[in-house]
Amino acid sequence: MRSLHIDGNSVLHRLPAAAKLAALAVISLVLFMIDNAGFLAGAALAGLAGHVLLRISATEIWRRMRPFVLIVVVVALFTAVFNGTGEGLTAFFRLAALALFASLVTATTTTGDFIGVITRAAMPLERLGLLKARDVGLSIGLVIRFVPEILSRYEVIRDAHYARGLKPRPVSLIVPLIITTLKSADEIAAAIDARGIRSQK
Amino acid sequence: MATRDLVLSALFAAIIVALGLVPPIMLGFIPVPITAQSLGVMLAGVVLGAKRGTISVLLVLVLAAIGLPVLSGGRGGLAVFMAPTTGYLIGWVFAVLTTGYLSQLLVSHSQAGFVQTVNFFVAALFGGVIVLYVCGISYLALVTGLGFSKAFMGSLAFIPGDILKAVIAALAGRAVMVGYPLLPQRT
Repeated sequence: MRSLHIDGNSVLHRLPAAAKLAALAVISLVLFMIDNAGFLAGAALAGLAGHVLLRISATEIWRRMRPFVLIVVVVALFTAVFNGTGEGLTAFFRLAALALFASLVTATTTTGDFIGVITRAAMPLERLGLLKARDVGLSIGLVIRFVPEILSRYEVIRDAHYARGLKPRPVSLIVPLIITTLKSADEIAAAIDARGIRSQK
Repeated sequence: MATRDLVLSALFAAIIVALGLVPPIMLGFIPVPITAQSLGVMLAGVVLGAKRGTISVLLVLVLAAIGLPVLSGGRGGLAVFMAPTTGYLIGWVFAVLTTGYLSQLLVSHSQAGFVQTVNFFVAALFGGVIVLYVCGISYLALVTGLGFSKAFMGSLAFIPGDILKAVIAALAGRAVMVGYPLLPQRT
């Protein structure tokens, strides 16, 4: 699983992750409050210029934005048809600017920095006794560790269907996948506790 | 929270991510792809119950937010939380919470198999379809200024597929309950 982070040493890379997230929140609020298509187009261009300044290639920008293009265009067209061309353009530039600014934060912040921010943000919840802040990082690590294993388990179950001449069906694939995966939880939990990972201070 | 519960939630989050790697089907004229991932959300509720199910879905969303391409079609990053369809992602949390809560409320080991399946279906349908669409459509309507009726019309085409997913989730939930019961029981 490749992160969407891009290595670099720009001003954005060096800013603390919390500051970038706060800035993104403020920017998105501003973008929603202003209805001027020209201003929003400028914002979208600024977001695009940010990618160019980070030396992200055009193909890479396209790869990052592709999942949003269809959604943004369809919503803008819908708005244009029902509420007029002006509002359609406003919607298009606003949604494009939002996606581009968010993508800038993602590209310049490492997974580790984000986990740090989340752990710190979870500290007040820990004081309330709701959760352990350190568990956040542990759980994220566990998910990343086990996705490839689950995928290969999925392939084994699918191949077992073929070997028996059965057509793979959703229920007959998913049930053994869930049961075999969750049965390993006891061993993993025992391994975590044996290493004292959750009791460290 | 016991370590085992934490591990179960993390493993289910990994299952939801893996289900997203099955290619999504686009229905052309509507901007939301049909994926097996929302099936994973219903499954988290029927298999793990409200608390652990919700934690596993939150984990998937956190992974997406911190820039890992864990959502169907390799989507990830903060941009997915700034899109017109973000309401469906936020809706996952309420969907799994509702599905899990209703599963715990309605399903018990003493029921006949068919009754369990029907109850799981009711839980998955209410949480994974009704609650999810209320969240998704409200967000789409308010954020894009489309209005509720148009946002509803635009989402209509996906409802049959999601009802089918609720059926699959019910059958799988009942089978997992027989093979390896994890759903907390009402006392």
